[in-house]
Amino acid sequence: MTDPVIQVKNLKKYYSVHQKEPGLLGSLKSLFKRKYYDVKAVDNVSFEIKEGELVGFIGPNGAGKTTTLKVLSGLLYPTSGQVSVLGFTPWERKSAYQKQFSIVMGQKNQLWWDLPAIESFILNKAIYEVPDAQFQKTLDELVDLLEVRDILKVQVRKLSLGQRMKMELIAALIHSPKILFLDEPTIGLDVVMQKKIREFIQEYNKRFNATIILTSHYMEDVKQLCERVIVIDHGTILFDGKLDEIIKKFASDKTLDVTFDGKVDLEKLKEIGKIESFEYPKATINVKRSKASEAATELLKKFQVADINITEPQIEDIIRQLFTNK
Amino acid sequence: MLSKFFIIFNASLQNEFTYRLNFILWRFRNVLRLLMTYFLWRGIFVNSPQVFGYDQSQILTYILLTLIVVSIVLSSPSGERIGEEIANGDLSNYLVKPLNYLRYWFIRDVASKILNLSFNILELSLLFLWLRPIVNLPNNLISIFGFVYAISIAVGIYFLLNASLRFFAFWSPENIWSIAFLTFVFLETLSGAVFPLDILPKTVQIGLQFTPFPYLIYYPIAIFLGKIQGLEIIRILIQSTIWLFLIFRFAQFIWKKGLKTYGAYGK
Repeated sequence: MTDPVIQVKNLKKYYSVHQKEPGLLGSLKSLFKRKYYDVKAVDNVSFEIKEGELVGFIGPNGAGKTTTLKVLSGLLYPTSGQVSVLGFTPWERKSAYQKQFSIVMGQKNQLWWDLPAIESFILNKAIYEVPDAQFQKTLDELVDLLEVRDILKVQVRKLSLGQRMKMELIAALIHSPKILFLDEPTIGLDVVMQKKIREFIQEYNKRFNATIILTSHYMEDVKQLCERVIVIDHGTILFDGKLDEIIKKFASDKTLDVTFDGKVDLEKLKEIGKIESFEYPKATINVKRSKASEAATELLKKFQVADINITEPQIEDIIRQLFTNK
Repeated sequence: MLSKFFIIFNASLQNEFTYRLNFILWRFRNVLRLLMTYFLWRGIFVNSPQVFGYDQSQILTYILLTLIVVSIVLSSPSGERIGEEIANGDLSNYLVKPLNYLRYWFIRDVASKILNLSFNILELSLLFLWLRPIVNLPNNLISIFGFVYAISIAVGIYFLLNASLRFFAFWSPENIWSIAFLTFVFLETLSGAVFPLDILPKTVQIGLQFTPFPYLIYYPIAIFLGKIQGLEIIRILIQSTIWLFLIFRFAQFIWKKGLKTYGAYGK
């Protein structure tokens, strides 16, 4: 539990992308001359992850989350920086490393489309050289956890998106990887299925002490699953720590929800803080974090108050602020 | 290792069988082509005992043989998939696994070839029982062994040539189809699939010796028909083996270069 299993130091990944002017004329021009520019997908990122941790990567589209996961999986060569996972350098693609991790991309499937999922599992068993007994045991366990026994022999093309995602997870886990990268595992799924997948990820993390990195656009995924989050935008890390610390660090304000019990002098109320809404008898007032309790005392002193509540802003709001301020 | 091979092989065959109608129609097309060729040439020989200096049995043997050799060697359904998977990023699925991508697709190719070949043999046997054409078969074991060896090497050469061509999808994912198409037109002609290469001028023939193409179709057939004999067979087989090795190294080289630029895009 002490040594980090994933170490990333000053990781940079720049892409050279060509630009095409709009329209047919632009296409013709690009046949002869292309303008290239660098995209800094990941720009000087460092972090460490310990065994058994379940870490969430959050950030808007194109922030660099998936690129980071792809470097960790050995799919991409970095522009510069050091990466070590379980002591391996991912892009050397040693089979000893590949047998110990797995990556699931929510928008990609590895299952054979025309065959039942079980055939893909058997194929992966052979590829990862999983012994028979272990295969049977792992398969049984996963199949029961995800409740898919009845559809194991159904052609993959005939499964629903949610069922297919479950099968994808089994295919990715059949070799019992110690490290798991999940790139948007719940994308496109309905709320019930999202919850099921989430519960499964949590259970898998606990039961096998697997180290998991998860990216998701759904804050709910991250809130439910990850104690620690890494917030990425424009290829750099904005925050790395406990989820609730984001609020302390980035939320400058707190909100006072007040219900009054008597007359209210609006001018006086404005002295307390910024009034977000006022609809007698209720009011919402924004105050500086450090002044919150002071403001509350003042309210109680100067007004007739029936009820008062000090609330933290929603994590979603803070993250939205973080990304738009940049 | 052997079990990996067997399971990939097995899944490939199952996959082929899921497209039953497609498969049956494909077989039907093959039989039809065989029959059409047969009756066309029989018609030509009705009035003249010799055409281009060949008699009926010689030309029939040549044409049936070309059909078979082309269907064994110049069929690599994997090639197209390799290009697609590089272009659309599905390659990522394989790269994260302890799996040799080239070997994987080669096994899948072999599976489809074996399936095709066994049906080919079945269809040909029926054709022979029905029409009883006169063909020339080699009268010595060396020709037969030489032929089998040459065919095996040719399968490898074609697979690797095709794959290395598709690797250009790493650099130009949009244009890979047209590049491949153009190349195959040349390749088919220069391999001897369209006409026997010995009707070409001598200088061209000698020039072609220094390319891998005639080893695909022309030489295997020439060995089978006894046009090449004795030590000459051994020389051709050694040369083809060297080509296989060189193209293997070339394919590996392009593959490694390609992986460096691979963006693993495609969502």
